[in-house]
Amino acid sequence: MKTPYVAARLSLALVWLLIAGPLLAQEERELLPVTGTYAITHVTIIQSPGRIVDKGTVVIKDGLIKAVGKNIPVPPEAMVLKGDSLYVYAGFIDGLSHAGVNKPNNENRDRVKDPGNPPPDRAGITPQTDVRNFLNPADKAVEELRAIGFTTAHVVPHGGMLPGAGALVWLGGRTADDMVLQPQTSFFSTLATADRIYPVTVIGVMAKWRELYRQAVQAKGYATTYASARNGMKPAATDRVLEAFYPVIDKKMPVLFQAEKALDVHRVLDLQKGLGFPLVVAEVKEGWDVAPKLKAANAKVFLSLQLPEEKKEEKKDEPLKSMSAQEKEALDKRKTEFTAKYTGQAVAFQKAGVPFGFSALQVKTGDIRGNLRKIIKAGLTEDQALAALTTTPAQLLGVSDMLGSVDAGKVANLVVTRKPYFDEKSVVHYVFVNGILYKMDLAAAKKEAAKVALEGEWTVTSETPQGKTEALLTIKKEGAQLGGTVSGDFLPQPVTLTTLMLEGNVLKFSFTMNQDGRDIKVEVEAKVEGTTFKGEATLDTGDKLPVQGQKKPKP
Amino acid sequence: MKRMIYYTLLVMVATLPALGQQTGNMLIRNATVLTITKGTQANTDVLIKDGKIAQVGKNLTAPTGYAVHDATGMFVMPGIIDAHSHQGIDAINEWTAPVTAEVAVGDAINPFDVSLYRALAGGVTTIHAMHGSANAIGGQCQTLKLRYGVMEPEALRMQGAPRTIKFALGENPTRVHGGGNNIVPRTRMGVEFVMREAFSKARAYAAAWDTYQKAKTQKGFRGAPPEYSYRLETLAEILKGNIIIHCHSYRADEIYMMLQVCKDFGIKKIVFQHVNEGFKVAPELAAQGAMASVFADWWAYKFEVYYSTAYNAAILTRNGVTTSINSDDPELMRHLYHEAAKTQKYGALSDDEALALITLNPAKQLGIDQRVGSIEVGKDADLVIFQNHPLSVYGVPQVTIVDGVVRFDRAKDADDVRLAVDPNEPVEAVELEQRDHDSCLEGLDDAFDTIFGLN
Repeated sequence: MKTPYVAARLSLALVWLLIAGPLLAQEERELLPVTGTYAITHVTIIQSPGRIVDKGTVVIKDGLIKAVGKNIPVPPEAMVLKGDSLYVYAGFIDGLSHAGVNKPNNENRDRVKDPGNPPPDRAGITPQTDVRNFLNPADKAVEELRAIGFTTAHVVPHGGMLPGAGALVWLGGRTADDMVLQPQTSFFSTLATADRIYPVTVIGVMAKWRELYRQAVQAKGYATTYASARNGMKPAATDRVLEAFYPVIDKKMPVLFQAEKALDVHRVLDLQKGLGFPLVVAEVKEGWDVAPKLKAANAKVFLSLQLPEEKKEEKKDEPLKSMSAQEKEALDKRKTEFTAKYTGQAVAFQKAGVPFGFSALQVKTGDIRGNLRKIIKAGLTEDQALAALTTTPAQLLGVSDMLGSVDAGKVANLVVTRKPYFDEKSVVHYVFVNGILYKMDLAAAKKEAAKVALEGEWTVTSETPQGKTEALLTIKKEGAQLGGTVSGDFLPQPVTLTTLMLEGNVLKFSFTMNQDGRDIKVEVEAKVEGTTFKGEATLDTGDKLPVQGQKKPKP
Repeated sequence: MKRMIYYTLLVMVATLPALGQQTGNMLIRNATVLTITKGTQANTDVLIKDGKIAQVGKNLTAPTGYAVHDATGMFVMPGIIDAHSHQGIDAINEWTAPVTAEVAVGDAINPFDVSLYRALAGGVTTIHAMHGSANAIGGQCQTLKLRYGVMEPEALRMQGAPRTIKFALGENPTRVHGGGNNIVPRTRMGVEFVMREAFSKARAYAAAWDTYQKAKTQKGFRGAPPEYSYRLETLAEILKGNIIIHCHSYRADEIYMMLQVCKDFGIKKIVFQHVNEGFKVAPELAAQGAMASVFADWWAYKFEVYYSTAYNAAILTRNGVTTSINSDDPELMRHLYHEAAKTQKYGALSDDEALALITLNPAKQLGIDQRVGSIEVGKDADLVIFQNHPLSVYGVPQVTIVDGVVRFDRAKDADDVRLAVDPNEPVEAVELEQRDHDSCLEGLDDAFDTIFGLN
């Protein structure tokens, strides 16, 4: 009679499961905020560029800004955030981003047999895709952008020449749908070529773009005629790719083109001129000469927040050994001249009278605030920079009735900082996204930064396709700054680090190594915890490798 | 009458300088002027007004405000025209399909390409920027004026120049598509089939559209239009005579084949490029009005081009074929006047005949001979001032003028003429390497990795 015993054991297990299940779930459950009402008091309110209220109050209720100004009564149910010596701004808007957007899984695809006639999706032609299907609120990039004051982003799917429709999202929220502020906001496009299939060149991309557009115009025309009276007509074919163009043809949705280089902008404008669609260009990096042309085309503009990197002088390995000092000086002068053009791009647009926002598609989030300060140093006023982060993008994206300024009735998207935002020492304290409060863990960040002691020797290990490698990273004080060298399996001779930085507890360094006569630049970004660090090395070949560091005990 | 006005307007618009295009005024004084069409004129002045040649003669006076260039002891010739180049464009080969008529290198003009300045230093003022030769029917090419210094791609385009397209015979298309992807064409027969099939489809496409357009005007018509094809639309334009074919070719048999294809489809405008065995079919080329653009003395860089001769240009010329000498290369492009001079050793061409190979004849091949290619009143002021005769080994270009604007001046030649500097990129070293292939397959390095497993 063993059966009852087994049954008893089983039922016991079941009971355990039943009890344990809810218990575990409860532990993970996020608690709702105690109140949806907040009041930031005694705070300097920058309602919009140039519109400032000193020592005022902002009241937030149920996701909206309820009241702004002086002598505003604080509702009894409000959670009060004391804003003495703090500044509050409207949340920033990123004009083009992949933050919170997962990459589609494109692994293990068969080779295309006829490269001249590939399936559209293989050629990067997937305009029917909706970025909402790829949203992931847990993506680290969402949190990182939010931490420096961005509350809204125009996000687009990953892909090739026609990745799909973009959406305006909150940089926060628990589910994919939570994130969406406005779906189907743009028809996203790039000039990206396909990989060894048609179109493999930019001229192929341009031709394909025109052909698809014209085919869509034709298909739409026939579909309209057919819908008006179907009897006696061949049924209109459906085509997801062409149908995705319809709102663009109706001028109800703009084409948002990623156009970084000056020549990209010219090419995009050429397409626009021929086909006549409403145009937004984003992630523009070299637009100083094309601003008037963009203005004439009535295009909306988002300028890249990425700037050319400033590199330390490379002492060894000059690219041209025969170069004289004079030649070198002349080349450096031209380099400086052009670096200034990149940094001064926003000023050029301001002067040309072309309204612009910013986009953070390619810039490292950690560089954004520094780059904004560089752009301001190049001549953009702080008010103009703030406008490009708030009011102007809200207008360009058609949401200035909801976002872009600290005014009653608008959505509670706010950034609260100690010291004005563009001050180097400014710190973000709170960020409200769609009425939800995010407190920045300042104490912890400070503590961790204080704990990090870089000086000394670190054993760095990395997994490469060739196996595990080990290197020695030596960090020393050089004057007031830190400097260092790296040597190891791939580097018999120690190489001086080109850059070395510590931001909070994030260690960044870069160096160039020579392999088989080719210079490979390596950039490492890693989180330091006490005597270890963990992160990733990015090679200029595009490869990424995991790296780990362990500090050697002092001899 | 209405039609008259329309045409007058059309001509006016076509001859207007492109919006914002820079033109210059200038008097070149006391030069030996090599006009190409009207002989050599000693101690002669050339007056340039609004970018056009206004007067050629003795003792001309410059209106106030005109730059005066004393060219005593110098030679002035028309700007050199390179009928085969791949410079000034960012994309060359859409190698993924045997027929890609719809793509156009004019969509990828790069005004920042420093090699354009280097070409100016060699007296070149106009180039035919071509699609590559990976495909039997490649992409459309673009005639560019070397207005180096402009930042706008559109400003390099020679407005009003006829459309041209690249075709290719022989090893390149068969290697890329047959060998690489196991599709037609794998043989020269396959190449011919690809051409004939493409033209047949284009003819049917144009006919289907004509039928549709006519039917559409009927009351109550409710049919569907033929599916739009950018490719077939472009091919149909070739059949209508609106696009000049420039066909990469080497062997006499394939050149003759292509002549037959043209005859069968009523195509009159064709220029053969490279055409190393052109001398074997020179009378046939002449009879059909086909033209030839050749190298002066370069061959044996692959199997299909083992048989050739430095007399090719002279033989073609003597047989009445409009012939030009091209570079297909950024280095060779800088001394096309030397290349032209070689025909005087190999073939004893006259000065005018030799110079026509790099001026008027390529202009004819590009359909722009009404505007450039010789020094005549009314033509574009595209000129080169040479120290010593251009056909002498001592000839050195001093000043190169495009539309009356000095675009190169040897006396003011700066060290760094880059128009755009990418602060993140190191300075590109200039390499003048020995060539072992024609540039027509440029842009395929990637493809060869997969196709042939080569590096």
